[in-house]
Amino acid sequence: MKIIEVRSLPKDFTEEFIGRLLENFQVIAPVRRDGRIFYERIADPHEVDLEYTGRSQLPPKRFFLPEKEVLFTYEITTEGILIYDRSEELEGLKRIFIGIRPCDIHSLKILDKIFFGKFHDPYYGLRRKNTLILGLTCNEALEYCFCAYMGSGPSIENGFDLLLTDLGDHYLVEIGSDKGKKLVYHNIDLFRSASFEDLKERRRILSQVESDIKKEPFPDLNRLYEALLKNFRADMWNKYGEVCLACGKCNFVCPTCVCFDVHDDPNLDLKSGKRVRVWDSCHFISFTRVAGGLVFRKERPSRVKQRVYHKYCYSVDEIGMFSCVGCGRCIETCPVNINIMKIAREVTSL
Amino acid sequence: MSNPYIPSIAIIQEVREETPDIRTFRLKLKEGEFTFTPGQFIELSVFGYGEAPFSVTSSPLDREFFEITVRKMGILTSALFKLGEGAMVGVRGPFGRGWPIEEMKGMNVLMIGGGIGIAPLKPVIEYILANRKEYGEVILLYGARTPSDIVYKRELEEWKNTIDVHLTVDRGDEKWKGRVGVVTVLFDEIEVDPKETYSIQCGPPIMMHFVTKKLVELGFGGDRIFLSLERLMKCGMGFCGHCTVSGRYVCKEGPVFSYSEIKNFIETAI
Repeated sequence: MKIIEVRSLPKDFTEEFIGRLLENFQVIAPVRRDGRIFYERIADPHEVDLEYTGRSQLPPKRFFLPEKEVLFTYEITTEGILIYDRSEELEGLKRIFIGIRPCDIHSLKILDKIFFGKFHDPYYGLRRKNTLILGLTCNEALEYCFCAYMGSGPSIENGFDLLLTDLGDHYLVEIGSDKGKKLVYHNIDLFRSASFEDLKERRRILSQVESDIKKEPFPDLNRLYEALLKNFRADMWNKYGEVCLACGKCNFVCPTCVCFDVHDDPNLDLKSGKRVRVWDSCHFISFTRVAGGLVFRKERPSRVKQRVYHKYCYSVDEIGMFSCVGCGRCIETCPVNINIMKIAREVTSL
Repeated sequence: MSNPYIPSIAIIQEVREETPDIRTFRLKLKEGEFTFTPGQFIELSVFGYGEAPFSVTSSPLDREFFEITVRKMGILTSALFKLGEGAMVGVRGPFGRGWPIEEMKGMNVLMIGGGIGIAPLKPVIEYILANRKEYGEVILLYGARTPSDIVYKRELEEWKNTIDVHLTVDRGDEKWKGRVGVVTVLFDEIEVDPKETYSIQCGPPIMMHFVTKKLVELGFGGDRIFLSLERLMKCGMGFCGHCTVSGRYVCKEGPVFSYSEIKNFIETAI
């Protein structure tokens, strides 16, 4: 049995706690804008909304893999070409991510597998290493949430420094790392001891959320993997290819879609500039275009399939994990109502 | 830890014209030697224009310099063509898995190239020429669009002294006396024992599709057929996603794959 260390944080002290964190860290937290929740860097504890339900509009990935990132700048001089590595600026970063959901915490574990493989991505690596995770479990499930099927929520056992559960007038705080422990101990005046009742209440809330999520069915993951392998040429993909607009929104709101393009942005002097990487989408026809114009995934069904297969098939072979966390953002966002849960059910019923 | 996105600076030592739109560039790293396995590729930076993948085409025994053969195709290659001797470019790599040159020792080697797809075969030929006794019969089948599109004309003449070279063009001209037709027509000029032969090929997907079909008909096993796949590898490290086929990263797990691997792909590779 795992021994967990817990504390209680009265809600009256949350702002004070966040205020103290702001003295030492860049703080990223859920903020409400036009009724929607965004993870943003905050300057004031008042901005933080820890009462939100469900998912933020955008996943946390942009704080680890920004939508546009300068890899290096270059300067062509008479002496030669000088290159300035921009990852070095991330060495001294000190951030804390507050109010991040278990599904999104799980997504970071998937990104870790991708970016810390045979090669190590220093930009992602430094941001990740220098960011503490202060998670917040869900008190209710939203439509399209299916983390309970992906093993990424509503409860989570690791991947956080602290994990909060909203218990009404206080938070149950689970300590998940030595760094998390330090955060609590350095601010011990704000914390109270947690009761057995608190733990029981957390378990009750999370199992309620889980059973709410499971009202909508989703296939067993092994069955889904096998069904996808078997049905790559099935007719159903044409149907989705017909309606998909290839807009790429599902990729951009997905916490685990990390494909990017790399290009140079020269300055007006044409003697200096920067190399940047920007988010890209496997739904774009340009994504598989090679020199000479040949496009490998020219037909839309092949591009719809690419994303689905990457999530539930290829990534299992590649990193040993399904690269979907069941956050439901792609379903919520798709302008033509393509629903990956329905796709999963459909392919397993063939 | 060093940053794998930062290119090393290389100097263009020599530029040779192969065809009206194909040139070979000899590059020397400003610092250190360059080592690679035939079939591997580099990411070449032309600063201000970005980065693109190119096969290394020189002999793996040369460490002082290396070469790439480039067709002028888009923005980056057009910018590269404007650079001459002494100009500086960026180099990352080499990346990927090359040809099984060690495994092929003691066996016959059948090479099939289409168009500029002969480029990744050239370092194998160079390596075999330097270690001729270690390989059996060596055959090169090469198809180009027209006689003026044939690359490595000078080298082909030299290679003929040591290995069996067969050429064809899709469209001949008044001076062309050789074969006309796609590269598979050359199979009727050769005799191979599939049990004693490794085949390695690179060319357009359609060429590799038909060549592979032919090789299978001739009795080649899937682990004796090797192909180099072309995709747009942006990062070379399995991150950017552009080069995947059936969930496999061509940059990291390829670009060379055996047909045994490719035929198990659910997504069509060739």
